[in-house]
Amino acid sequence: MTEYGQDEILELIWSLRESSRPTRETILRNTQEESPESLLDELAAGGFVDLSSDEIRLTKTGEERARGIIRRHRLAEVLLANLFDLEDSQIENSACKFEHVLSEAVTESVCTFLGHPPVCPHGKAIPRSECCDKIRTEILPLVTRLTDAGLGDNVRIVFITPKSRKRLEKLSALGIVPGSRIRLLQRNPSYVLQIGETTVAVDRDITDEIFVKRT
Amino acid sequence: MTGETRKNDADCPEKVILVGNPNVGKSVVFGRLTGRYVNVSNYPGTTVEITRGEVRDRGRLIEIIDTPGVYSLHPMSEDERVTRDILMAEPGSTVLQVCDAKNLRRSLMITAQLSEMCLPMVVVVNMVDEARERGVMPRIETLGAEIGVPVLGTVAVRGKGTDRLLALLPGARKSCVYIDYGEVIEGAVSEMEALIPEESPIGRRAIALMLLSGDDSLSSWLAAAISEGRIREMNDVRNRLVAHVGENVAYLVNQKRLQWTERLLVRLGIEEAGKSPHGLAQTIGRWSMDPVYGVPFLLVVLFVAYGFVGLFGAGTLVDLLQNRLFGDALIPAAKRVSEAIIPWEILRDFLTGDYGVISMALSYAVAIVLPIVGTFFFFFGILEDSGYLPRLAVMVDRIFKRIGCNGKAVLPLVLGLGCDTMATLTARILETRKERLIVTLLLALGIPCSAQLGVILGMLGGVGLLATVIWFGIVVGVIVLVGYLAAKVLPGESSDFIMEIPPIRLPQLGNLMVKTMARIEWYLREAVPLFVVGTVLLFVADRTGALGFIERVSEPLIVRVLDLPPKTAGVFLIGFLRRDYGAAGLYRMAQAGMLTHVQVLVSLVTMTLFIPCLANFLVIIKEHGMKVAIAMALFIFPFAIFVGAVVNFAIRHFGIAL
Repeated sequence: MTEYGQDEILELIWSLRESSRPTRETILRNTQEESPESLLDELAAGGFVDLSSDEIRLTKTGEERARGIIRRHRLAEVLLANLFDLEDSQIENSACKFEHVLSEAVTESVCTFLGHPPVCPHGKAIPRSECCDKIRTEILPLVTRLTDAGLGDNVRIVFITPKSRKRLEKLSALGIVPGSRIRLLQRNPSYVLQIGETTVAVDRDITDEIFVKRT
Repeated sequence: MTGETRKNDADCPEKVILVGNPNVGKSVVFGRLTGRYVNVSNYPGTTVEITRGEVRDRGRLIEIIDTPGVYSLHPMSEDERVTRDILMAEPGSTVLQVCDAKNLRRSLMITAQLSEMCLPMVVVVNMVDEARERGVMPRIETLGAEIGVPVLGTVAVRGKGTDRLLALLPGARKSCVYIDYGEVIEGAVSEMEALIPEESPIGRRAIALMLLSGDDSLSSWLAAAISEGRIREMNDVRNRLVAHVGENVAYLVNQKRLQWTERLLVRLGIEEAGKSPHGLAQTIGRWSMDPVYGVPFLLVVLFVAYGFVGLFGAGTLVDLLQNRLFGDALIPAAKRVSEAIIPWEILRDFLTGDYGVISMALSYAVAIVLPIVGTFFFFFGILEDSGYLPRLAVMVDRIFKRIGCNGKAVLPLVLGLGCDTMATLTARILETRKERLIVTLLLALGIPCSAQLGVILGMLGGVGLLATVIWFGIVVGVIVLVGYLAAKVLPGESSDFIMEIPPIRLPQLGNLMVKTMARIEWYLREAVPLFVVGTVLLFVADRTGALGFIERVSEPLIVRVLDLPPKTAGVFLIGFLRRDYGAAGLYRMAQAGMLTHVQVLVSLVTMTLFIPCLANFLVIIKEHGMKVAIAMALFIFPFAIFVGAVVNFAIRHFGIAL
């Protein structure tokens, strides 16, 4: 599992760089890997890091690899936090696994799906990639909570994550189901939606659970 | 029934049940069919009970049953359950489904469920005019052929098409709609169907689907109709299905029905759209719940309400009736007549004395209550029929959250300003017991009914603006505080705020008048007997010396704690019967110069917080049981006196000059 370990060290160097200076000492202090010393040597041998000075630097190839790891990790965090309302501890755990397995194509889809988010839930920058640049004209996310939809925009419901079965059934009886077109008319003093010729007022915690895509 | 069993040409159904989504006009159709008025309003979910009426068709009597609106026949709230249960309890009935032409999608969801129930039915597509105006009118000519039952387009409020309703009923038949829910669910359905007795009141397929969807409201029917072993087998069938497709069976079933509906609507197509005027009504509708314009809009509504009910009703009309009609004409005349023909003084006093039935009870009921209540109900009718109330619910939703309810509670609370008893019944539209309890408590405690409000404002007007502001502040403060605490203390949950907003409509004067008259009648029938009883009680108490006794016994409380004259005890006593009648007693005392300004305020605050009237108390018992009612009374009366005492003490202590 040395590749896994290498990924972790590269990730650590990147994050340390955001707050302070990554040195051999700080890396050893912050890592959970079993033999960080040898992992660092492996990375140096592979040409990913430069150990020549006190501050450990990423080489060009190392920079690129670390960037991908961080990007996958933080995108996974956004996905899990925004869409599935998971708890922090669970997010961290799963995101750590995602970063090693997501392929480039899947990562780009996730990034696009989330609307190329600039920061992770903890506020740290998500490295951009080509996919983010390509669509610079349309920065609006593909899927948002209905709460955040533009007023008066025609959107289509992608999925609903209701707290209770009863709520799901009630919404579906009103025609608020995945696939239906909907418009957010106002946010205050309550959220008002338009589905076909029906106008419905709901609480914010309900619009939070409805995810929509612009049409 | 006449005893004739003409099976062959028994084409006319004996019972017709009206079913449909909320606010599609079932009650209007009911009114058109039976000529009987039931509460018709532009507020989803106003019919909370079933109403029965009759119509005679070629000599045969048909019973018509109006039901609360439903979003689904898989019940999610109390009123939806009422509707489903009536369909099961009245086998052999014909169903008349009322649809909203502009929301046919949702109506067809109900059609699908009714078809599965295997009941003979006809479909009325109502509000054709609104759908045409918006250019969304589906072509319904082929709808009848698609679903295999007679279909009729109507505009029920204007009586368009409704004259053909009766002729439609004999054609009722079971719908041919069959929705395939996919292999897995269908497998479970047929297993379940085999366990349901053949002579079940509605189609077995419908019952099977309800049970598979996890509908636990059927349990009482199950217990009566099916053995325990079978019920266990049924649970096994459901559990196997859930293991296969997950908990959300109802949702999956609903999805299939929706797909069927969508395909059907595509086949029907939309009528060629005329012009689609985004008219004044829609603008008003938007403004009235706009975060910015909504507040001034509400203020305008309140101002108009004050002008119409407060100034015109409680001022002009009361003055006309009380002073002119009763004061100058009727009471002196009654006195002259009774002196001329009644030889016994006691009977004369009973009719026209201080506590006389004519001089006190009737003059009060007709001269004070009638104009205020009448103008209020008329105005409330406008609010209701125009569709403003649901928008008000949107405005106040977040505030009501604080007191454990949501915006939906606005209807019973505002109606309570007309009549608390009526409003307590309407609290049924709220979904959870917790919300119903909170609203019932707040109605009983803090919301003065229009008659009482009229009298109170009249008295406070005589004392001054400061007293009015203090009174208002205390009552609102008590409502918010008690609501907030009740929300914390009472167990249970508050429901989701999911509320359909109907379009703004111009109220129909005819419906408005009928509705106002029905409510006034209801009010008077409930109130006047209590006035008379209260007056008789007071008369007897006065004659037998019991009044003096009560005054002496309650003296420590009335005189020492509240600093009120002993005579107030009698008024409070009547206040137990009817809060407004008690308030009127205070009014007389104030007019007679027996109360100081501080005393007026203290007695009014105390009286306002009393339970409104005996009828209200009886309705609380009916709706929530004796235990809850007594608990509320035990809280409310001491609390009312406590607040009165605090106000008395505070005003005297701080030397506030009123």
